[in-house]
Amino acid sequence: MTAVVAPTPAAAEAPKSAPTAVPRADRRATTWLTWLFLAPTLLGLGLFTMVPIVGSILLAFFRWDIISDPQFVGFANFAELATDPTVRVSFLNTFGFVVIAVTLQLAVALFLAVLVQSRMPAWLRTFFRSAFFFPLILSAASVSLVMAYLFNAEFGLVNQVLAAINLPEVGWLTTDAGAITVVILVYVWQNFGFTFLLFVGGLASIPRDVYEASSIDGATGWKQFRAITLPLLSPTVLVASVMAIISALQIFDQPYVLTRGGPGDATRTAVMVIFESAFQQLEFGRASAIGIVLTLIIIGVTALQFRLSRRFVFYS
Amino acid sequence: MDLSRRAVLGLAGLGAVGTALSVPRLLATDIPGRGDDVLTVAILGNAQDAAARAGLVAAFNELHPDIGVRIMPIQGQDWSNFFAKILTLVAAGTPPDVVVVATEGAQLFADRLAHPLDEYVKRDAADLQDYFDDVNPSLIESFMYEGSLYQLPIDFNAANVYYNTSALEVAGLERPADGWTHEDFLGYAREMGRANTGSFLPFFWTNRLWGGVVPWLYINDTSFLAETTAPGGEWLWDSFYPGETGRSGGYRWLEPNADDPKVFESFDYLRTIVAEGLGSSPAQGGGGELVARFAQGQIGMTPAGGFWVDGLAEGGMTPADYDVTYFPQWKGQRHQFGAAGYAMMSTSERKDEAWEWIKFCTTREGMRLAFPSPNTTPVRRSMCNDAFYSEKGPAHWQVFYDTLDNLPSGPIPAPPQQAAVETALIKNVVGAVTAGSDGGVRSALGTLQRDLALALRRSS
Repeated sequence: MTAVVAPTPAAAEAPKSAPTAVPRADRRATTWLTWLFLAPTLLGLGLFTMVPIVGSILLAFFRWDIISDPQFVGFANFAELATDPTVRVSFLNTFGFVVIAVTLQLAVALFLAVLVQSRMPAWLRTFFRSAFFFPLILSAASVSLVMAYLFNAEFGLVNQVLAAINLPEVGWLTTDAGAITVVILVYVWQNFGFTFLLFVGGLASIPRDVYEASSIDGATGWKQFRAITLPLLSPTVLVASVMAIISALQIFDQPYVLTRGGPGDATRTAVMVIFESAFQQLEFGRASAIGIVLTLIIIGVTALQFRLSRRFVFYS
Repeated sequence: MDLSRRAVLGLAGLGAVGTALSVPRLLATDIPGRGDDVLTVAILGNAQDAAARAGLVAAFNELHPDIGVRIMPIQGQDWSNFFAKILTLVAAGTPPDVVVVATEGAQLFADRLAHPLDEYVKRDAADLQDYFDDVNPSLIESFMYEGSLYQLPIDFNAANVYYNTSALEVAGLERPADGWTHEDFLGYAREMGRANTGSFLPFFWTNRLWGGVVPWLYINDTSFLAETTAPGGEWLWDSFYPGETGRSGGYRWLEPNADDPKVFESFDYLRTIVAEGLGSSPAQGGGGELVARFAQGQIGMTPAGGFWVDGLAEGGMTPADYDVTYFPQWKGQRHQFGAAGYAMMSTSERKDEAWEWIKFCTTREGMRLAFPSPNTTPVRRSMCNDAFYSEKGPAHWQVFYDTLDNLPSGPIPAPPQQAAVETALIKNVVGAVTAGSDGGVRSALGTLQRDLALALRRSS
């Protein structure tokens, strides 16, 4: 059956607007105004985004220590990265961190979002939303400093609590496993709030009648979550995971303040090596080369996510 | 809202005028003193530190009313961070004329940024004789680089051992003898650990270049970098220290030395201390809690220098609560120190004025104004006296300067690639001292040797 919608009288009576030629002077004025309004943004983007990006790309082909004149070295900076054990380890650390931290971040955020969206007084829901988001507005460096005290092996509160309940003390920041655990925990604790808010918004937009219909069909709990919530939340999961991965690939503050990349290279990340190369070792070319490699990886991973999203994201 | 063309143009015009008026702020030319024809002196510190030098500047201006001085405080968590910020000033085309540089950056500046002081020192030799007579030559030698002098040190700190007198008394121990050994140290730590309970730790140390593993390497007659000396410098030694023999044109650290058996020995000793629970297993970048813990009596011994006296007084410790002694001896008793002094930038267009400032800061008056209380050790022997330490200092404050006068000493190993070298060192220390066996120490030192070689080669 085909439904035919008749035009409303008003629509039927509306005069048909014949295409009229816009005077050239007006067109020119419109164009001029368009560029005028765009100018501040374009200027800002150009000066503070494009110029540094182009400068960084160029710098990757030079050896430059700020003090001496830059020296063109072609692809030498990139070639050295391949054989540099610290760079290799830092990238591997970063990938491992991303896998664990992002998985945890998404899981914790989703779990809490579902809990908060379940039946509870409105004021309590507001409280939880604020409380979970609160760590995100704190400075990562300040949070990490406090955490460094809490996890201090000799005097930290965490080990004191463990000792009080007769559990062995842990070298949180002085052993590989301990340091990695603390960095991941601190990062996830501070960052899951944003993902949580995205999920809360996504969950709120799922129509209630879908759940009601499935309830009539006998679906409850986990089955509803798996068959309705997750598929309908998948666009939000995609956005959240893309943002979380991009952010996690650039982790710096937490390991820098908590462990300075140690013990050994256990928590050294790609951005830390960029910082150390540029501002401690004065190798700006090398730092730029690592930055470019990291950027390409971020672009590649994001593109892959969007490509794969066709299989698991449902937009309707 | 519809906007007429006139309104848009008016708003755009307002924007343009606003931008034009903001130019001094946008270009930071409105910062007080910037662009003035004054001598710019960069120091590691904040605005309060700069204000604390107001008296020093005023006294300098009494002597040199024609030389304006602007103290530029630059905050940094450590010297590496401070040097990085100085380099960004250089890159921005606004380098200071004079910079306070510590041992950590002395060779970096000498190699690339600083102007040698040789000609000035020779010219004003008569004025400087009193200074050199009062300063231990080891401090001067630490600022020589390839035969030239780049800084006149104003303060220093050697790594001595601070101990908590109560913790010592509870353990029934006497003050350690000046020539105590590393085995005695271990015995002291064990006794203190047995007698003091709770969260008490007999020995606390931090993982950094100054006061980390290096003092233990130095007393064992080794270092993680091979140390040699440059020829030259006779022009200075012959003029100011005629009786002094064996002095050089400065230190050279060109090769890694982590594979030296004595380095292994020192690291393994520290591993024993950590494994027995006698010493902290230092996290990288740790140490912020040290003063508070020591003042609360939770730490028995720790490496520190004269700079700590003020901090402990602020932490509530009286001179009777703690004391200081030398690092123990092993194969020797060489002590590590770090010093600081003003370096003249090679880019400065006010070199003569810069020299007058540097010279003034080495005078007794200059140092008295710069160091009104013991938050560091002045390089002038005559200033380390009862009056300086009477209120806050430990009973054996003489240890601070006697370390230089009575024992062999040397600067922190800090080649021009110091930042890369320091990173390589501290990142491998924890793995070595927390290793479960001596095999773990050897493995960590193997990595350290590799990383040091890379650091020295890549940045050279």
